[in-house]
Amino acid sequence: MHMKIVLENLTKIFPSRNKKSGEEVVAVNNFNFTIPDGKLIGLLGPSGCGKSTTLYMISGLQKPSSGKIFFGEDDVTELSTESRGIGLVFQNYALYPHMTVLQNILFPLQNLRGKDKMSKEAMLERAHEAAKLVQIDELMDRKPSELSGGQQQRVAIARALVKMPRVLLLDEPLSNLDARLRLQTREEIRRIQKETGITTVFVTHDQEEAMSISDMIVVMKLGVVQQIGKPQEVYDNPENLFVAKFLGTPPINVFNGVVRGEKLYIGDADVLSVPGINDQEVYVGIRPEGFILDPDGALACKLSNVEVMGRDVSVVSTHEASANPIIRSIIDADNVINTAAETVRFSLKPHKVFLFSKADENRIRFEVK
Amino acid sequence: MSEKKAFNTMHDRNMQHMNLLQRITKPLTITGTYLFLFAMALIILFPFYWMIISSLKTLAEYREAVPTFWPRAMIFSNYAEAFSTGNLGRLFLNTAYVGVVSTILSLVITVLTAFALARLEFKGKNALFAALLATMMIPGELFTITNYQTVINFKWMDTYTVLIVPFLVSVFYIYLLRQNFMQIPNELYLAAKVDGTSDLKYLIKVMVPLALPTLISITILKMMGAWNSYVWPNLVTKKDEMQLITNGLRNAFNDTSGNTNYPVQMAAVTLVSAPLFLVFLFLRKYIMSGVSRSGIKG
Amino acid sequence: MVDSKHQWKAWLYLAPAIVLLLVFTVWPIINTVRLAFLNNYNSLTAVNQEEVVTFAVGIENFKTVLRYDGFLTALKNTALLTVITVPLSTLLALLIAVALNSIKPLQKFLQTIFFLPYVTNSIAIGMVFAAMFNVVGNFKIPRLVSTYGLVNNIIMFFGGDPINWINAGSGYWANMFVLIFYIIWNALPFKILVLLGGLQSVNKQYYEAAKVDSTPRWRVFTKITVPLLSPMIAYVVITGFIGGFKEYSSIVGIFGNTMGAPGNEGALNTIVGMIYDVLPKQDYGLASAAALILFAIIFVVTMINMQVSKKRVHY
Repeated sequence: MHMKIVLENLTKIFPSRNKKSGEEVVAVNNFNFTIPDGKLIGLLGPSGCGKSTTLYMISGLQKPSSGKIFFGEDDVTELSTESRGIGLVFQNYALYPHMTVLQNILFPLQNLRGKDKMSKEAMLERAHEAAKLVQIDELMDRKPSELSGGQQQRVAIARALVKMPRVLLLDEPLSNLDARLRLQTREEIRRIQKETGITTVFVTHDQEEAMSISDMIVVMKLGVVQQIGKPQEVYDNPENLFVAKFLGTPPINVFNGVVRGEKLYIGDADVLSVPGINDQEVYVGIRPEGFILDPDGALACKLSNVEVMGRDVSVVSTHEASANPIIRSIIDADNVINTAAETVRFSLKPHKVFLFSKADENRIRFEVK
Repeated sequence: MSEKKAFNTMHDRNMQHMNLLQRITKPLTITGTYLFLFAMALIILFPFYWMIISSLKTLAEYREAVPTFWPRAMIFSNYAEAFSTGNLGRLFLNTAYVGVVSTILSLVITVLTAFALARLEFKGKNALFAALLATMMIPGELFTITNYQTVINFKWMDTYTVLIVPFLVSVFYIYLLRQNFMQIPNELYLAAKVDGTSDLKYLIKVMVPLALPTLISITILKMMGAWNSYVWPNLVTKKDEMQLITNGLRNAFNDTSGNTNYPVQMAAVTLVSAPLFLVFLFLRKYIMSGVSRSGIKG
Repeated sequence: MVDSKHQWKAWLYLAPAIVLLLVFTVWPIINTVRLAFLNNYNSLTAVNQEEVVTFAVGIENFKTVLRYDGFLTALKNTALLTVITVPLSTLLALLIAVALNSIKPLQKFLQTIFFLPYVTNSIAIGMVFAAMFNVVGNFKIPRLVSTYGLVNNIIMFFGGDPINWINAGSGYWANMFVLIFYIIWNALPFKILVLLGGLQSVNKQYYEAAKVDSTPRWRVFTKITVPLLSPMIAYVVITGFIGGFKEYSSIVGIFGNTMGAPGNEGALNTIVGMIYDVLPKQDYGLASAAALILFAIIFVVTMINMQVSKKRVHY
């Protein structure tokens, strides 16, 4: 019933809006990926990165300029949306405003033709099942305008699920919800996906959202896939500066550094030994949790302030080699910090430090002893 | 200090003065406003009143030197006479038939066209839409000449076809509905595609229900148009039994020699006006919202 | 958003409208221009004769129309009716709309009454107006008059002399008065509706600000209401002019399709009336030329209106 989705050299080029300049926009560039069966995949990236276009190409609402899409073994590239058997939840839900919740959920079933055609009773039963799954079975007779945002979202999911789609697609499913509801709903989406086992792709610009529920994430930038992997893997092992910067809250700290004699210098301080790396200038990315408070540490920063956040303490400091205005490090609350001090010294956890080439911003890997 | 006090008292006196003035003028203005509106409403309503009471008078009472404002005896026989004089029964049916058929066909065409212009993608869409809008600037009389020639060539004279077909497409209604369709979010169309709907089914199941108020406005305006049409039917129907109600009315009582049987004529006018009033009574909201966007009658 | 490989489907939806428009709108535009410039084109001469008749291209039809004194009468009548009725009805509608907007009780009720003339058949109610102004009997011989009619009786009640409004022997301006009265009566509903709609969408804050500044009522009207309403006023004036130049059925309603009082037929004809007069004679060349002249007049007047309103309309 469910199946992997194969994207093969998927490319989408939009003709320029301005006909005279004739400049084309490459929304998605040569995307290759096999989405494993029954997994929840997050397409992640800043706006304009091509994630929604990719989703719409999988749905068939947009046709790829080149490349192919397979559902299982079937080539669906030329298949129209209507015949793909997918479910899609839109960013603003797109519920039919003149229909009740029940009518909305029934709508996809009533469109089934031929051998898939269902009896009225079967349709009702299926609709109620779907409603129960998303816990809106109490609201069946309401109109969308009488529902809260979260409830509308659930109806949209029920409508997408009711025909038991081969693939479930979600376009920024949480962006219209308030913060509290967002947390709750993303757990809900995770639960529903687990229960149904439907291969699910969702698009978001919120890395935390993607990281928290996806089996795998795809990070995109300007139409090009940057990295694909399990959330933790991608976080721990970014392939380039963009991915490193895009994932993680608080974001990664970036310094201008130099490698000399297999040693990494930030400013004048020799902060880490990096065996096997040639002498060069590099970007140094250090995760906030990569700092260790250490009176003998090599990295001396000017202390700005200390924010206590219960379990952790966030130390805000500055350093002239930092590429960002501030450096934010997270350390255990057990550490005692002299908040009156002018300088704070750190040593670094080597596996939380990433080097990137100044030329192409790609990762320069070194062996961690 | 004293200067300031003086200023204050002056100001207070001014305020009192203003208050007094307001207390007098405000009710006066309100009364004046109502008097003006009632006077105007009377002028607006009076012809209808006169039409109805005249239709109930005997000819003798109508011709009395000083008109009576309430019939001494209500005579309903004028209506029966009006009905037979103008062959109004047949013309009522003609008009109803032409009105219903042309409204239904016109709605279908308008919905299909507006949908294509609002939602479907095809080459030359913008050019086509602009061309359609441009035709709205041209007075209808300019079309009538050639259309008259055309329907003679088609041998359509004295048929229902000639009363229905030439005016089925109204660019204005297409424009109105297209604007309404454009307000329906595109996501609904995409959602319907995902839900496995064809374009046509989406149009019928989603767009038409959502644009219902506009469609009702169009229906009423079109019906009113059929009911009130005079010029075209007058040109293309020679046989009395193929005419529409307004033609029948005008031709049956086309005499200003002063000796017309006005009570009967007023009865006929009442009969012709009544259906529109009834429709208006029930569907006032749709008519007024449709009209305020149109600027054309019928 | 949606890629559509099936463009032909869109044309399927458009097909009925396009076919009808081609036959009954596009072709007439082309043909009207063609016929107008074929000298003395008449379909009877074109069809009846055995050999193919060809017509020279030229402006003969336009000359004929302009020389024809019926045209000048029609032009004068149309222009007079428009120039008199549009400003009067607009002003009256504006006053009524402002008055309606300032009241609360009975507003909806009165609004409905003021809309009533719109839902009437302009021929039918024209006949009612005719009845109100009609004199039964021979006006010239008072002995033979059975009643001077409603309007004259009202005039006589206030001590005036009866006037022959629409009957045989009635004067031009008496006729015109009745027409103007009727046309204004008929034009009010649409204008009131649009202007009232405009007033109701004006932000109340302007009026509150004016109140705080204790602005006198007439200043509020001329300095706030009219400028804020100017787009709506421009709209009703422009549509009023367009409708005015196409005036026809109100005259038919009151005077019948003889377009004039008995014995004076055609004296009240309008441009549109003239076109419909020539049509059954199949003088298409003439009719087309007249229609193009009408179009040109409407076009020019609309352009002037738009230019004026561009300067005057405050958005």
